Parts: sequence; structure tokens; C-alpha cells
Amino acid sequence: MNTPLTLALPKGRLQEPVLKLFARMGIEMDFPERTLITLDKRKELRCFLVKNSDLPTYVNHGIAGLGICGEDGIYESGYSFYRLFTFPFGKTRLCLAGPKTLKDAEIPKKIQVATKYTRFTRDYYHAKGTPVQIIRLNGSVELAPLLGLAPYIVDLVETGSTLEAQDLEIKQVLKEIQVSLIANPGYYKIHYKKINKLVERIEKEV
Amino acid sequence: MTGRKRSFLQIPQGAEGIYLEEAYKHLKILEDFHRLFISWGYFPLQTPVMDFYDLYRPLLEGKTDTLYRLIDREGDLLLLRNDVTLFLAKQMGLSLSREDLPVRVSYADIILRHQDKEDINKNEFFQLGAELIGKEGLFADLEILTLLFKSLEILSLKLFVHLGSQGLFIASFGMLEEKIRNSLRRAISTRELPLYREVLEDNFGKKRASLLLQLYQFLGTASELKKLLSASGASRFTREELLHLEHLLALTAEMEKIGYSKELRIDLSEIGSQFYHTGIVFQVYMEGLDSAVASGGRYDKLLEYFGFPSPSVGFSILLRKVEPYIKDTSRYALPKKEQVFGESFSEILQKAEEKRREGRTVIL
Repeated sequence: MNTPLTLALPKGRLQEPVLKLFARMGIEMDFPERTLITLDKRKELRCFLVKNSDLPTYVNHGIAGLGICGEDGIYESGYSFYRLFTFPFGKTRLCLAGPKTLKDAEIPKKIQVATKYTRFTRDYYHAKGTPVQIIRLNGSVELAPLLGLAPYIVDLVETGSTLEAQDLEIKQVLKEIQVSLIANPGYYKIHYKKINKLVERIEKEV
Repeated sequence: MTGRKRSFLQIPQGAEGIYLEEAYKHLKILEDFHRLFISWGYFPLQTPVMDFYDLYRPLLEGKTDTLYRLIDREGDLLLLRNDVTLFLAKQMGLSLSREDLPVRVSYADIILRHQDKEDINKNEFFQLGAELIGKEGLFADLEILTLLFKSLEILSLKLFVHLGSQGLFIASFGMLEEKIRNSLRRAISTRELPLYREVLEDNFGKKRASLLLQLYQFLGTASELKKLLSASGASRFTREELLHLEHLLALTAEMEKIGYSKELRIDLSEIGSQFYHTGIVFQVYMEGLDSAVASGGRYDKLLEYFGFPSPSVGFSILLRKVEPYIKDTSRYALPKKEQVFGESFSEILQKAEEKRREGRTVIL
């Protein structure tokens, strides 16, 4: 029996470019309203639409053997995956941001940060030898400096317009983020032939 | 019971308890392994449950987050057994003499490794395996690989053995400085080597870099590897590299002769992770599990670390990781109990003993 590969797709900003790319490769996937699981017309891929931050969990547990995920999500999950391909779209930056009124030179030696990216923030500043206090938030992080929860935030910045609207600005770019095709290592070892072919097709199409 | 005390009813991460059917199945599987190992001349060995940590420290780089350590009454740091192989190597290193060699040993024991509470598939609670100490060369590697396949047959699961070589990796990259070598090792084993093309080109030039890229991403059959080698041209490999590649091909050719080629793949991204690995390395994978269920290889430098230089090759299986997938219910079902009745205890006992002699399970 020709079992389809399993792939977790992220909801949100990456969904559209990924589905378009696969459609160009002849893998057409349709997610009618509220549908979260689908099989492409050629039955090559069984896809799950999951929240970006949950995607590494699904791939780590082998529910989906493959996934498309940003470096931010992979790092935060703490799991290790094979990174088989880096997509040209979805590039973004993890940045330290704060109020425009705070000048760069004023970034203190001990820093207080609100963020969703607690693991990354802790590791980044520890590696630099900078003591950091982290307040975990799950969304609308840019509110934190406005309401006085923390003077700085660490968050993904794509265009900077959200920051601009809140009178915030990028203080430092901490990491360039790219989007990768990841694989559960055990799954790759079992299905390497099919996966390698899929990667070849993606490489040709991009 | 207070809330705090109630939380103590949880089992700490990295430990487990098994009961009734599950425990019975576990013991039956162990019996099968014990029988196999004894029939191959691999006699059992038991390692201490804890040992002095400092001795093992250099061998545990990158693994410290999974260790359980404690301080004894004299203030020494102790390590709870996290890997039978290491404890075994120390024991063998201290007790063996040249006249004893070669020695064949087997083991089956609980190990303690911390695992994340969300990582429910790890189940690295129990390790069993076999080691052949004091023998090198093709026959010794073949003996262990064949015993591995015989062991996997006991599990009756669809498993794939991925065979690679740490020796090959050293032949290609041994001359590089440690930092670069470690980056390349990580990149090869996570299949991210293409991201390191520039590093390879800086150290080896464009042509050899692309050869190495191709080689260390190889995963396939022996005939596919032969094709790759002949297409690349043998003269483009170093003599040392060719020796290791030929060794892998010789192993797979012999394994094919005895009928173990279908589940054996040559995977040159398997390069081992420890300095004491020296020759072949292998990992065993199964559908649905994120990491290897068994691993092994040749580690000629491990016993030397404990003061007794001797070649060794072996494997270990994380038994509790695969046990839930073994579905042979009739083979591992709890035996049916019979009850006997009578006027006196001695009469009941006598009836029970008679039935037990026939191999039946009898309760009083």
C-alpha cells in the first residue's frame, strides 16, 4: 500500500505561500471552512493544519512526520528535527523592541523583557552574559511596554508596522528567522526515499 | 491526604512501574533474550546501580541534562546508572586480564534518565544488550550485527538497522580542528550538511567538498553505495576512507548471504557521537518512534579509558521503548489460573503441586 507522507502545515502567515507552492508542484490541498485535516488529490500527502507553536509537538510525536515551521517555533519547542529544506518565503526577524523614547544607549546591563519566546530570550542573553528577567506573554506582546509590564519585548518583526503603531521601535535584531521543512528524525529514517523525492520536487519548484 | 502529599503519588520523571500483564510480558521477553544470549555464549553481567560521577564526566558530554546525580555521605558526586554500557566498560576494564579475551557478555537492567514530562514516547527505562570484548575485524562486527538481528527477531517488529561508520568520519575529518569537526559531526547527523558547504569548501576545495557532501548524505542499499562510489571514482577518496567504505560493503555482503539485507541500510549520516567510537556504528529505527530504539557499534577506545585497552563491539536495545508495540497477545498473555479445593490445606497443596508439575498455574 502506498501510504501518503504526513505533513503539518502552520495556520496563519505561512499557510498561503505553502499551499501555493505545493499546488505548483501538483499537490493540491484544500481546507474547506473549519477543516483541519486533508489528503491531497493524488493522495501523496496527508496534511494537518495546526497552530504554528503546536507544530513542533505534532512532528516530535510523529503524528506528522514532516512539518513546515519557522526557526523561532523550532527553537522554542526544544525538540530536535532534521531540517531538510529552507524556503525562500516567510523570512522574518526576532528582535528586541522598546519605546522610541528609550534611546539605544539606555539599554540597561540587566534587562527586563516580555515575550512569547522565553527559551530563545533566556539563551540569547545568557550567552551574552546579560542578566535577563523574562515575563511570559502569549500574544499582543507590544502592549507590555505601553502598560508598564516590561520596558522591552522580544518578538517577531516582519514589516515593523505593528511596532510603529504602538510607538515602539526595533532596538536590536537578535536572529534572522527562516522557514524550513522539518522532519521527525525517526520518520525520515523510515521514509527517506519518498521524503527525498518530495524535497527534490520542492527544490525544483522554488 | 494533603495536596502536597498527593503530588508524591506521581512517579518522578525517568522512572516507571509496570504491573501484571505488562510486567509478565516484560519478563517473558527478557527470558527469550536471556536464552538467545546464552546460546551464543554471551553470559550475563550486572552493573552497579550507581557509581562515582567524576570518572564518567568526560564520557557524558552533551548528556548531562538527562542524568540523575546525588551526593553520598562522604560528599562524592554519584551517578545513577544512565547507560549500562559505560558502567559495564568500567567493570570490565578493571577486572579483565589479557588471558580472558575474547569475552562475551550480555546485560539487561533498569536505567535512569530524566525525560521531559511531555516527551511521552521516550520510555528509556530499560536497556539490554550484548558486548564482544577483545575481538576486532570483520568477523567480530558480523557476529554482533547478526546477534542484533537475531535479537530484533524476538521483538517481531518492523525495524530497520542503519549502518554507518565513525571510522569513516575520522578518516575524512580527523585532521580538522575540534570545533569545526564537531560542527560537521552535528550537521551530518542532523542531515544539515548542505548548510556547511562553505566550511567544507574552505577546508577541502570545491571538488572534494561536493564529494563529501554527497557521501555523508548517502542513505540506501549496498548496491546504491557501490554505484555512488563508481560514479564518483575510487581515486577521489582517500585510502583510509576506502578501507572503511569497503568494510561496510563487506559487512552488508555477508549479511545478505545470511538473509539479513532487507532491513539493513547503509546510512553514512550515522557517525556516532562519542570519541570512543572507532569503527562501525548503527542505530535501529521503527515507524512511529522519533528516535532510535537500539544502537551500537565498535568502540575500541572505551575500555582503554578505564585502563584496559581492548577492542569492543556491541549493541543495546531500549526495551521499554518498543515493548508497547509488541502485540503478540497469545505469547505474552498472563497464564490462566486454576483453583483447587479440598478438606485440608495439605490436601489442597498436594493437588496444586500435581497440577503445577504439569506446567499449570494454580492458586490455593
